[in-house]
Amino acid sequence: MKEIKDCKIKTENLSLFYGPKQALNNISLEVPSQKVTALIGPSGCGKSTFLRTLNRMNDLIDKVKITGKVYVDNQDIYDKKLDVVDLRRRVGMVFQKPNLFPMSTYDNVIYGTRLNGIRNRKKQDEIVEKSLNQAALWDEVKDRLHEPGLGLSGGQQQRLCIARTLAVEPEIVLMDEPASALDPISTAKIEELIHDLKKLYTIVIVTHNMQQAARVSDLTAFFYLGELIEFDKTKKIFTKPKIKQTEDYVTGRFG
Amino acid sequence: MERLFDIQIEKLKTRLIKMCSLVDEQVDFAIKAMEEEDADLAQVVVDRDKKVDKYDVKIEKVCQKIFALNQPVAMDLRLIMSSLTINNNLERIGDIAVNIAEAFLILKKKPSFIDKTKFSEMAKVAKEMVKDSIDAFIENDAKLAQKVLKTDDILDELNSENHKILIELMKADPAVIEEAVSLLVTSRQMERMGDHATNIAEDVYFIVEAQLIKHKYEKIMLDDDNDDDAETEN
Repeated sequence: MKEIKDCKIKTENLSLFYGPKQALNNISLEVPSQKVTALIGPSGCGKSTFLRTLNRMNDLIDKVKITGKVYVDNQDIYDKKLDVVDLRRRVGMVFQKPNLFPMSTYDNVIYGTRLNGIRNRKKQDEIVEKSLNQAALWDEVKDRLHEPGLGLSGGQQQRLCIARTLAVEPEIVLMDEPASALDPISTAKIEELIHDLKKLYTIVIVTHNMQQAARVSDLTAFFYLGELIEFDKTKKIFTKPKIKQTEDYVTGRFG
Repeated sequence: MERLFDIQIEKLKTRLIKMCSLVDEQVDFAIKAMEEEDADLAQVVVDRDKKVDKYDVKIEKVCQKIFALNQPVAMDLRLIMSSLTINNNLERIGDIAVNIAEAFLILKKKPSFIDKTKFSEMAKVAKEMVKDSIDAFIENDAKLAQKVLKTDDILDELNSENHKILIELMKADPAVIEEAVSLLVTSRQMERMGDHATNIAEDVYFIVEAQLIKHKYEKIMLDDDNDDDAETEN
């Protein structure tokens, strides 16, 4: 593939070890800005582990060792001087299962922003409305903002998690199988949302659902046994992949 | 354990190969019927066209089912997309064989001046193109497919020459007009047969090499960056 224009995230020879076990081997990848990059591969291939290196969520796991570099906007994010909390604001994450706080919809959205020092009520209201609109949820919850978030449906809860991530104005949104716990209609709404979000944010999504990767992403990276096998435009990966292993995986012959 | 999807693909390939054999034989018989003045053989070709049509429908149904129930990608997608158009082209070749057989049944005999025309040469080239395109599909042979593409120009040239010869024959002897016009049409039919064989060869190339070669061998890359730029502008 040609060199990426406008690279937002770059890894160089990235390897990761859980104790003695190597989970990622020498991954060099460039993620372009304001596009959706999908990470696909069979279970245990390292795609979620790789995703977590992009906002240092792996720091929270014991005995993890990383070699190589990860850059966001040309800044080494494993530099000791880096503010990791701010990194995780800039590089937000949405998980497979919605993980709302036991609070109202409103408070869930505004929680991170309050922590960042926004106290003005009018400003908070604006942020809540804007974030919920961006997450395509505003119309459904505007009349019950102060009711518990956990009372919403699964699909709504996941969009609320997305709104919460967007409220702190990230640049990048990482999504780890964001729709795998949802019904087909909620999944379709999340996919439409991703399509809209990429106009403003850089998105990296891990998915087991190849058809989803084909539908939502601009680029696709195929991982296998901790290695990056192929990375190219999604159209290419699903019509004419270069590597036989990639073709065998996307056609369902293994994995 | 074999995947259900693989079983469906094998079913598709088997039906297509049977369709190929049948159509190949129809072409052979139709031309032989004319060359050896065999009316019974011509009738066999006409009667057997129903079988070709049945295969056409069955193959389309299998392709439709595969698309509806699966989401084929990469080489599977290319195979099934191409199967639809190959099937279509085979059915048309089958129709042409019937037209040639029916033309002979009307004439009831080989025109006396046939050896002055390029009929035999055209028949040989057209038969070979059909056979080669079918073999290329069965063997996944991109090189053989390319050979078929190059041969089409020869057939076109023979058709043009035939056209001129027949016009001259008609001018010289109006009594032969009916037979000459029939041969003119048959000549055109054989040229069309070559075009359909060429289409099949193009599809084989697409299946094997994942490249579209259409409109005089202009290569169109599947991942042409120009396509993406056009989409962005829209």
